[in-house]
Amino acid sequence: MYQFKPVTARVAALRERYRTAPVILDSEHARLVTEAYQKYSHDVAILKRAKMLYYVCENRTLRVEDQELIVGNLGLNYRGTSVSPDYGMGWLIDELDTGLFDKRDKQLEHMELSEEDRKVFREIWPFWKENSASTFVDKAIPPIFADVLAGGVLSYREKGNADMPTGHFNANYKKLVDRGLSSIRREAQEKLDAMMGKIGANDPPKFFFYQAVIICCDAMILLAKRYAAACLEKAQTAEGNRKEELLMMADSLNRIMEQPCRTFHDAVQACYLYQIVLALDGSLHGISFGRFDQYCWPYLKADLKEGRITEDEAQELIDCFFLKISDMFKGRSHHVSMGGGGYTSGQQMSLGGVDSQGNDATNPLSYMLLEASARLKLHTPPLSLRVHKNTPEKLWEAATECTKQVGGIPTFQNDDVIIPMMVESGYSLEDARDYCIIGCVEPAGSGNDFPACGGPHAKCYINMANCLIVALNDGVNPTNGIQSGPHTGKLSEMTDFSQVLDAFRKQVDYYMDWKISLTNMMEFITQNVMPLPVLSVTLDGCMESGIDCTSGGAKYNGCGSASVGTGTVGNSLAAIKWAVFDEKICTAREFHEAWMAGWVGHEELRQTLIHKAPHYGNGEEWVDELASWAMEVYAQKYNSGEFRRGHMKAGLFSVSGHIPMGKSTMATPDGRLGGTPLSDGISPSQATDKFGPIPILQAASKLKQSHDYNGTLLNMKFHPKSVEGDEGREKLIRLVQTYFEQGGMHIQYNVIGSDTLRDAQKHPDQYRDLVIRIAGFSAYFVELYKELQDDLISRTDQQ
Amino acid sequence: MGEEKIVGHIYDIQGYSVHDGPGIRTTVYVKGCPLRCLWCHSPESQTFTDELACMPLRCVGIESCGACLRVCPKDAIVLREPEKSLLDDSVYLTKVRIDREKCDNCMACARVCAAEALFCDGYDITVEDAFRRVMKDKLFYKEDGGVTISGGEAMCQPEFTYALAKMCKDAGITVCIDTTGHCRWELLEKMIPVTDLFLYDLKHMDSGKHRHFTGVGNELILENARRLAAGGGKLQIRIPVIPKLNGGLDNIRATARFCKELGDAVTLVQVLPYHRMGIPKYQRLDRPYRLTNIDQPDDTYMNERLQIMLDAGLKAQLH
Repeated sequence: MYQFKPVTARVAALRERYRTAPVILDSEHARLVTEAYQKYSHDVAILKRAKMLYYVCENRTLRVEDQELIVGNLGLNYRGTSVSPDYGMGWLIDELDTGLFDKRDKQLEHMELSEEDRKVFREIWPFWKENSASTFVDKAIPPIFADVLAGGVLSYREKGNADMPTGHFNANYKKLVDRGLSSIRREAQEKLDAMMGKIGANDPPKFFFYQAVIICCDAMILLAKRYAAACLEKAQTAEGNRKEELLMMADSLNRIMEQPCRTFHDAVQACYLYQIVLALDGSLHGISFGRFDQYCWPYLKADLKEGRITEDEAQELIDCFFLKISDMFKGRSHHVSMGGGGYTSGQQMSLGGVDSQGNDATNPLSYMLLEASARLKLHTPPLSLRVHKNTPEKLWEAATECTKQVGGIPTFQNDDVIIPMMVESGYSLEDARDYCIIGCVEPAGSGNDFPACGGPHAKCYINMANCLIVALNDGVNPTNGIQSGPHTGKLSEMTDFSQVLDAFRKQVDYYMDWKISLTNMMEFITQNVMPLPVLSVTLDGCMESGIDCTSGGAKYNGCGSASVGTGTVGNSLAAIKWAVFDEKICTAREFHEAWMAGWVGHEELRQTLIHKAPHYGNGEEWVDELASWAMEVYAQKYNSGEFRRGHMKAGLFSVSGHIPMGKSTMATPDGRLGGTPLSDGISPSQATDKFGPIPILQAASKLKQSHDYNGTLLNMKFHPKSVEGDEGREKLIRLVQTYFEQGGMHIQYNVIGSDTLRDAQKHPDQYRDLVIRIAGFSAYFVELYKELQDDLISRTDQQ
Repeated sequence: MGEEKIVGHIYDIQGYSVHDGPGIRTTVYVKGCPLRCLWCHSPESQTFTDELACMPLRCVGIESCGACLRVCPKDAIVLREPEKSLLDDSVYLTKVRIDREKCDNCMACARVCAAEALFCDGYDITVEDAFRRVMKDKLFYKEDGGVTISGGEAMCQPEFTYALAKMCKDAGITVCIDTTGHCRWELLEKMIPVTDLFLYDLKHMDSGKHRHFTGVGNELILENARRLAAGGGKLQIRIPVIPKLNGGLDNIRATARFCKELGDAVTLVQVLPYHRMGIPKYQRLDRPYRLTNIDQPDDTYMNERLQIMLDAGLKAQLH
């Protein structure tokens, strides 16, 4: 059996500090951004963004923590955090005004905030009320959109639509560690010099772009050297080993960013520092490390060969790095916490997979990443294991044992489906083979892609259950009575099941047209207000084209989305067909009335739908086909959307959005009560899967997953008894392998019983380190809010 | 001719069955058993006839339903004390239970209970339909997985079991038969060519005690095991270890000696710790659970028994 080793005393101490310290929000970063915006108010947007970053790097307070080997901080305090007012801070002021901010408990990402800092936030608010990205986007949304929004299908809101930065990308860390920024800076300078006096009609954007690149490079180099100075200062009072360490760290920090990395330590520190800078620029969610085991292995290999580092030392360094990734968190709204939660940030790391020739790319570092997650019991970074038909048994074994320790880490991604799918959508074979996972489950190019899940500002979710509700109520969502979608008739008047399907299709088309429209509009605003030069510095294609990634400069582009409620919609369609048109248990009118009453007074019918009607994921082929049809209607429509930077990409996953979305979704035709969670990802609705994992996998295989370019997510929960020992593990591995042979793209699972989770709910102190996979991410179970915990418990334990 | 039309009476078909033989299997559980083991964890498997089961947790209360009351011809539906709804503290539900004295298992209530709080756990299935169900999961079986026919006692419905096993075997998937061994030899003998592995239970080596704990003596069982081994059958011996009843070291040693006697026919010995997961099933049937004073054995206890098997030179594992 695969065994994980105990951690060192240093790592144990760092971990304990991380697990017990509160998250503290401060205003320093927001204040610096405000000052920069006022100082550079007359610069074009891209220069303003670059100069803001430089100003922040120059003036922010740096921390070097005791015992740590990798440095970098986001706030004034240990586990300090900041918010980016330049995107939008209305949520913070609203929450302070209503008192919601202080009511948030740890389960809803509580942050401490001093009186003084509150004052600063209030002082800068009037400026941002007029100047944030949200201000621009909110103003641009046409008034008619209020009616569209009333359908409850799209995840836009009345205000604060750009509060979340774009996120969801994989910067080119390989370029950063291999080349260093001085070389990129030189290239930009040469391009700029060549342009002097020769700025043609289409050149001004490039002229400003290269200037911005230079400033961003300088900002990052400056920050590294400031950290070097901070280490040196600490070294003066340190003794013995620690003094040596600090001197070594200072030496490294003085070189990295500017020059190519020399050692594994250099590479890890450079990646982390870039991550810090990207987070300071505004983004944090879904900024993914990509194939860390690929681009960092050459450094580790050389160090090991030359005797510069031992395997144990390297493992300790990775442990420290993982802890630093874990403690990164950026303040976000209550609303966003409900959709995510658990202080997660989606800093995905991919491992395994194939190389550019299609051969297995597993290396010792792949195992060390699993080792770090398993032995530290850390929920972040989320790991995605890329598997293919030649993945070594030992890696399967290590990964399966790891996910038993930390629920859902790693998730499993199927190269044999994803690579051909990416080739089909326009990636070269070599680049497709080099894909990585972003955010939760989204496949994208490594260091060459701007996939922007949800478009700028991450508006990715689509509530398919509401789409069906509106479709069967003549374009109205009965919760508010507003005519939101086109007239498609009422279920009570329908005489044939095909009318139900037609109505659904029409509403999907209508809302997707709106979604595509709004995405395009928001893209335009973002290009003009919020370019991302700090990312464009490394992303393949941008330096070559002189075009910022938000304007399409990257080699590959896309815009993902995520539809929620596969199981709920599949079951609802099946329930109507079965009860009204096939078995004729009731008329369409009776069904509609009972449903509109929220099933109150119609418990017998509701129970019949829950227990007797066929469900998605239970081996009834026609039901699985219906779910597949519904999601294909969405995928085809969304994928065909016009998008300036490349393709729209449909996806089927929910992070934990199925819970807040369910909260605002009335009863559904499958017998689900209003306010309860929707189904998550492509998993069956909670507790409706009665026949074990195989029919679920078969149902999921029926979905045309290769059209879901933005990824699919299948979440399962196995009872520990069913995967015990070597034999249990082998059977589980085989189960996943068979699913993948049949076209499955992704699977993740928890190995835990509902009995244990119930006990954890009652005695959180005894389960402090219990990590569980929710949907798009893993988190500490006891740090999740109650509804989310209940949702996890309600899922069927596969025996 | 027409074997595929044979009807079996079963109580479940379970996919991804990982405890009943090698690999990923689908297990068909036939109803009816000649033994009445005190520790039996599936009481619904014992009788050949159907029994009404009741799960109050699912009952939505007579306030919004009451269908069972309306259809019961024997007046056998009894109301429980009203209890708080799990969904809403302010709502009280009056759920039902069965008066077993009056109930004659006609299943009228089960047919109308939408919530499946009242249900019948047995149903008929043709060999053909069972086969089709098994074949649905074929891709997952790979080389060593397949179908397991269990029970109850698989050999209580010999025509069904044989026909299903043969169809599966002919279709190229492996067949396991889970049996107590308490049946006519000819029935088992007929199974040998269509069975890859017999999951064969040994419960006690002392016939008197065996009779006391299971209702039948062990002579036929031991004899059939010998004949299977001699006749080319492969056996995986399964020993449920129940402290105080059959877990004594002497009995375990005797069992080990017996397994050893069977020679190469025994591919594996599984030592299964006693568990109480079946108790809720007794409650559903309003039947008493008789092993009230026996604890589930701990790892040390089980490892000691496992070691005896290993020391005897048997391939053995805890399961």
